[in-house]
Amino acid sequence: MLHRIQMNHLSVGFNGEEVLRDLSFYVPVGKMFAIIGPNGAGKSTLLKVLLGLIRPQAGEMVIEGDGKPVIGYVPQSRPIDEETPIAAKDFITLGLTSHLLPWLTRAERSKLKEIMEFTDTEMLAKKPIGRLSGGERQRVFLAQALIREPDLLLLDESTANLDPGAQEEMMRLVFRICEKRGVTVIFISHDLAQVATYADQVLLLARGKYVQGGAADLLSDQQLLAEYYQHEPVDAAQKATLESAQRQAMFH
Amino acid sequence: MFAYDFMRHAFIAGTLIAIMCGAIGVFIMARNLSFIAHTFSHIGFAGASFAVFAGLDPLIGLLLFTLLGACGVGQLGVRVFRRDAAVSVILSLALGLGILFLSLSDAQGSFTKTILFGSVVGIDLQDVWQLVGLTLFVLLVLAVGYRWLKFDSFDQTGAEAAGLPVHLISIGFLLLMAVAVSVTVQIVGALLVFALMTVPAAAARFFTQSIFGMILTAALLAMAGVWFGLSAGYYTNAPVSFYIVAFEALSYFVGLLYQRVGQMRRGEA
Ligand SMILES: Nc1ncnc2c1ncn2[C@@H]1O[C@H](COP(=O)(O)OP(=O)(O)OP(=O)(O)O)[C@@H](O)[C@H]1O
Ligand SMILES: [Mg+2]
Repeated sequence: MLHRIQMNHLSVGFNGEEVLRDLSFYVPVGKMFAIIGPNGAGKSTLLKVLLGLIRPQAGEMVIEGDGKPVIGYVPQSRPIDEETPIAAKDFITLGLTSHLLPWLTRAERSKLKEIMEFTDTEMLAKKPIGRLSGGERQRVFLAQALIREPDLLLLDESTANLDPGAQEEMMRLVFRICEKRGVTVIFISHDLAQVATYADQVLLLARGKYVQGGAADLLSDQQLLAEYYQHEPVDAAQKATLESAQRQAMFH
Repeated sequence: MFAYDFMRHAFIAGTLIAIMCGAIGVFIMARNLSFIAHTFSHIGFAGASFAVFAGLDPLIGLLLFTLLGACGVGQLGVRVFRRDAAVSVILSLALGLGILFLSLSDAQGSFTKTILFGSVVGIDLQDVWQLVGLTLFVLLVLAVGYRWLKFDSFDQTGAEAAGLPVHLISIGFLLLMAVAVSVTVQIVGALLVFALMTVPAAAARFFTQSIFGMILTAALLAMAGVWFGLSAGYYTNAPVSFYIVAFEALSYFVGLLYQRVGQMRRGEA
């Protein structure tokens, strides 16, 4: 169980360029927390800071729990070697690193079974991950993160390439993880309707800065969103995001 | 053929080395290090030649040079050496150095042949103990490091995010590979290290998608190749390494065919 997740005056830079600036916020434990913001806002960077992959240049980060908190992470992109195709089941098993025995213990085998049932990946067990569809792959990645029994789950645009049905399925799965297992979930998404449905709390970032945080109803502030999603210099990628956000707003 | 000591020794050492090659080979393939392994074998050749020149045991020279090579590669980063140019520079430099040391020493032509192409004749009991000891050491480290190594080799992003010491794993693996290459050179020679370290592992991928399955298959293929090579070499007097290479190449093509047939059945290709 986690007790506290808090950032105080966090700053991160690459080669002198500040990517996150003086960021302070806290994440309620056992809840769904969304990070939104235009492309390049620093969302993925923030997750990497939480993971300990990027060291902040200033400020402090507190993640407290009973013992050392275990963090599960599903990255935005992940190179998959088509040359060495390993089975989905093996890919999930990779996440088991709590000890060094070369074989799986009985407890680990039943854990594996349970997680594969939960993420609906049993049918994929023997398929090489390189051959899975985008949605199937995301479920396998999620299973690998879950098998580590995380206290905190970080999802970086895990539904980005999924069809609407698969997106819904994925988010329900994540919601159940949060609700039933008390796992704190931090997810990044450009799908504002999805965020409004699933997030308990939302953090809006733009150019590395805290813009707005609070309950998900801040998403109903169309003016705020339009402002921050538009005030970025609009390049092609951002324009696409913008348009898709607008499309979604139209559909909902 | 088991009447001869050296044949018995060759079978014992060869079998263990084959198992080791199968196991480590799967990770070499997954980490895209097969050309670095090949480079190590040439550095090893330079090391063995240096040892002869300096009046040391060739194995010492092999280990010394390949381990130093591993440290060098680790320092500069593996990525630099994935480039063809870097590999060919080091390969030729190592071969050149080997030739230099050999010409400076009073080594026989037969030594050159042995270290480049491998030989099983004249493996005495002490050699066997050395080879067996080193091989068991490599296998033990692989077993202990199995979970970390396979996570890092097959999903580097995940391993890093899980907080595994990926840099340490990378250097550790290079050092282990250096030891494995030094041992394998004794059987198949510096030029044919590919035959046992990467070809069986590459072939295994055609038959299975499970990591342990690949290790098992690669080890079996390597072992079968060594047994076949030793027996055929004994009865025909053609070089053992030729038979090993031929066997492994055949297994690779059979694997390729097997995969193609499977794909055709499923209507893919
Ligand atoms: N390793 C790095 N080196 C230099 N700059 C980086 C690095 N990683 C990220 N950046 C820069 O930091 C900024 C934020 O990147 P980040 O990936 O966090 O954005 P994001 O909010 O996740 O965007 P997206 O919605 O497109 O995924 C970008 O301008 C990017 O170029
Ligand atoms: Mg991102």
